[in-house]
Amino acid sequence: MPAFEFPGGIYPPERKARSNQSKLQVAALPAQVTLPLKQHAGNAATPCVAMGDSVKVGSLIAQRDGMISAPLHASVSGTVTQISNTAITIESDGLDNWQRLPPLDWRAASPATLLERLDSSGLTGLGGAGFPTYIKAQVAEHHAIDTLVVNAAECEPYITADDLTLRSYPADVLEGAQLIARLCGVQTIVIGIEDNKPEAISALEHALPQAQHPAAIVLKVIETRYPSGGERQLIKKVLNRDVPSGGLPADVGTLCHNPGTLLAALHAVRDGKPLVERIVTLTGEAVSTPGNYWVRLGTSVASLLDGVGLMPGQLHQVIVGGPMMGTPLATLDTPVTKTTNCLIAATLAELPPAPIESPCIRCSACESVCPAQLLPQQLHWYARAENDSTLETLNLFDCIECGACSFVCPSFIPLVKDYRLAKQRIRMKQIETAKSDHAKHRFEFRQARLAREDAEKQARRQARLAQTQKPSTSTAGDHATPEVDLRSLRIAQTAAKAAVKKAEKVLARAAEQDPKQRFDDLETQLATAQENLKAAEARLASARENAIQKDTP
Amino acid sequence: MSMMHAAQVGAAPSTAHLMRWVIVATLPGIAAMTFYFGLGVISNVLLAGLFALGAEALIVALRQRPVRPALRDSSALLTGVLLGASLPPASPWWLIAVGVMAAVVVAKQLYGGLGHNPFNPAMVGYALLLVSLPTYMTLWSPPQALTAESLFNQTLWAQIIGSLPPATLDALSGATPLDAFKHKGEAVLASEFWASQPLPEGTLSAWRNVAFAWLIGGLVLIAKRIISWHIPIAMLGSMMLLATLFYASDPSHFASPLFHLLTGATLFGAFFIATDPVSAATSQRGKLIYGAGIGALVMIIRTFGGYPDAVAFAVLLMNLCVPLLDIYTVPRPSGHANTATHSAPKEPL
Ligand code: SF4
Ligand code: SF4
Repeated sequence: MPAFEFPGGIYPPERKARSNQSKLQVAALPAQVTLPLKQHAGNAATPCVAMGDSVKVGSLIAQRDGMISAPLHASVSGTVTQISNTAITIESDGLDNWQRLPPLDWRAASPATLLERLDSSGLTGLGGAGFPTYIKAQVAEHHAIDTLVVNAAECEPYITADDLTLRSYPADVLEGAQLIARLCGVQTIVIGIEDNKPEAISALEHALPQAQHPAAIVLKVIETRYPSGGERQLIKKVLNRDVPSGGLPADVGTLCHNPGTLLAALHAVRDGKPLVERIVTLTGEAVSTPGNYWVRLGTSVASLLDGVGLMPGQLHQVIVGGPMMGTPLATLDTPVTKTTNCLIAATLAELPPAPIESPCIRCSACESVCPAQLLPQQLHWYARAENDSTLETLNLFDCIECGACSFVCPSFIPLVKDYRLAKQRIRMKQIETAKSDHAKHRFEFRQARLAREDAEKQARRQARLAQTQKPSTSTAGDHATPEVDLRSLRIAQTAAKAAVKKAEKVLARAAEQDPKQRFDDLETQLATAQENLKAAEARLASARENAIQKDTP
Repeated sequence: MSMMHAAQVGAAPSTAHLMRWVIVATLPGIAAMTFYFGLGVISNVLLAGLFALGAEALIVALRQRPVRPALRDSSALLTGVLLGASLPPASPWWLIAVGVMAAVVVAKQLYGGLGHNPFNPAMVGYALLLVSLPTYMTLWSPPQALTAESLFNQTLWAQIIGSLPPATLDALSGATPLDAFKHKGEAVLASEFWASQPLPEGTLSAWRNVAFAWLIGGLVLIAKRIISWHIPIAMLGSMMLLATLFYASDPSHFASPLFHLLTGATLFGAFFIATDPVSAATSQRGKLIYGAGIGALVMIIRTFGGYPDAVAFAVLLMNLCVPLLDIYTVPRPSGHANTATHSAPKEPL
């Protein structure tokens, strides 16, 4: 299969055999789950249950707050025992009673229904940043998207969750892809998969012939090289398209989803199953029965690892995600979330800490492996010097934090750590400067809310007046030119609608470009636009009422 | 932060490892030089290496930094070895000490230590000695096969200790081929010059074989991916191009390209000096320009300048250009349009 090259890349040891030997299994039902309110980019969800409420699997327990956010559902049946600012805890009754949404036929349902379902199922990307899936589909509304890329590369060492997903549910993943393809008007689906997953590849090949509708599906097997699973790298590799810097895959007509998300999308639509469980790779030398497991969200890492034979004496650290980009856990008392794809219980010999850092000798090994073609050593230098303007001209924000540079650095410099700190610092600065803007926007929001309330009050009064004064208003002179009024109000309403759409777009784009950012200000601006729209609608409605009154004395 | 380090999986060597490999790769060259120019070569290298470690330890301690890691990275040792290998055989100890001080203390540590020196430390030491002690720096004894007698004669030790009076030194010294050719005089044609047998028996072949020994070490470094090919190839390429042009324009006054390639510090410089990552350009394009610049400067100084060999000055001059090269050869990151805008238009979709 011809593939196009992205620059750089490395060949870390794969260590996937430890978890891809056994079949997909189901982890034991947890006795208790703790569901964080923020498992996604954007605002945390708002609880909508009370302590002591009894819930079923799939009951809504927290609603999304703002546009970039996702609702949350109970992952076990039982009783809500604790609601904190950050999480909801549910004690399981062990019965596993489900509450599902009505099944939908994705081929027949309207796009709006499908979008609504993806939203209400709490679906987020199951790979990395946890971007709400329905917004990704909405971004597609404003772009001509022709290709859906299924990111099955899974290039990080250790992780085999997508591999097992594809081996176990090839047809369902493909159907999920067709569902998203239909929703976004995509004509072609390209599956990018690394050649180190022969079983998944043959499972897909078997399922392909039945699945070629409505979009044609192409399977592209690519060479195993880290980080071919980076969105930009994969799009380059399978389509030879360059996603512009600071841009999105949508800018080159592409949408990217990983297999797990597609499977969850199908489950949400076809089976009415909200996102309450996911497939997690449990691996590392410190567990005795590594493998891939269906895990209820909110299960604690400690109990999960215990279930697969954790040997505490051997354990050095547990890493969530892959060894290249993942983060070590400070405590095992941490719940599995929507984005937890892998837990590595590693021994000291397996993933030892980096040797002591020595000075950069400008050997440019880092530069030659950087898939984003940045200058890691220069970024390192300016990051330590806190020279932020130079960092930006050196395109720090194009760094995908893949860690290839750190991996090859002979001086063991934790380059990615430097970049993350620098990015954080720059973001903080931007937030500082944005604060005054934000204050202004909050003020505008308040004004808009007052205006809306006013308009609604007016409308209600108008309605009441109309009720009581119906017979005698024919000669009222205070609405002398209702036609003109109506027209300008209609224009105002259209403009307000457009403003809401625009605010949504800006927010969606910002959030997808950089899910780690904060979006308070953009959310406020969107809310303001929404208030304005409501006010315009109220005014229009009351003016209409008025006009009708005048016409029908 | 990322967890996986190449170190633990043997994919990439550490900095100390890299430095040690370069030191290992100098062995063929040092052995060949010892064979032709006597034990003084080894005394140079050993003394310079020792002094370098001492100087590094001293100044790192003075700067109140941890001494052991600094010594362990072997960068100081490497600087000493490279400087020692460039000096005329059996240079007096104090001369070596002065050179090493300039290299390790001034050129390296005063700029902030490993990784921060803009100039190649060994070449700073060498250049300083060359301009301030020219008599000692041109004392290349004629090549001679190693004999028991030449190994342990009095002169060697006197020379190492630095107690020989300059008059005796003069008597000892033989010109290097580059030196001889440089001073052949305007009126003398190249053919007449060679016909007059200006150099002691075997001098040319000695230099040629030493050059080959450096080449072997250099190829090992490339094969082990310790250095990339860009700098040596660009440097040798531009030298050969210029040498050919000069030679073709007037073969009776200019030396042949092969002569330039195989005498002096050409190959040693191309593989061991110009490739010092710290003071060289970093991007691939930058390295090509950097190497080509060194090659061109070597040819220009050798042909028109005051010094017979010119690798040290050429390298130092190009070190000066590195910051500029690094700025103007920044590769265009993926996803940036040809127009080199730093961020894509941010207007709403
Ligand atoms: S790999 Fe490390 S030592 Fe080499 S240039 Fe990059 S940061 Fe410096
Ligand atoms: S972490 Fe950033 S700088 Fe380092 S290789 Fe990856 S993209 Fe390049």
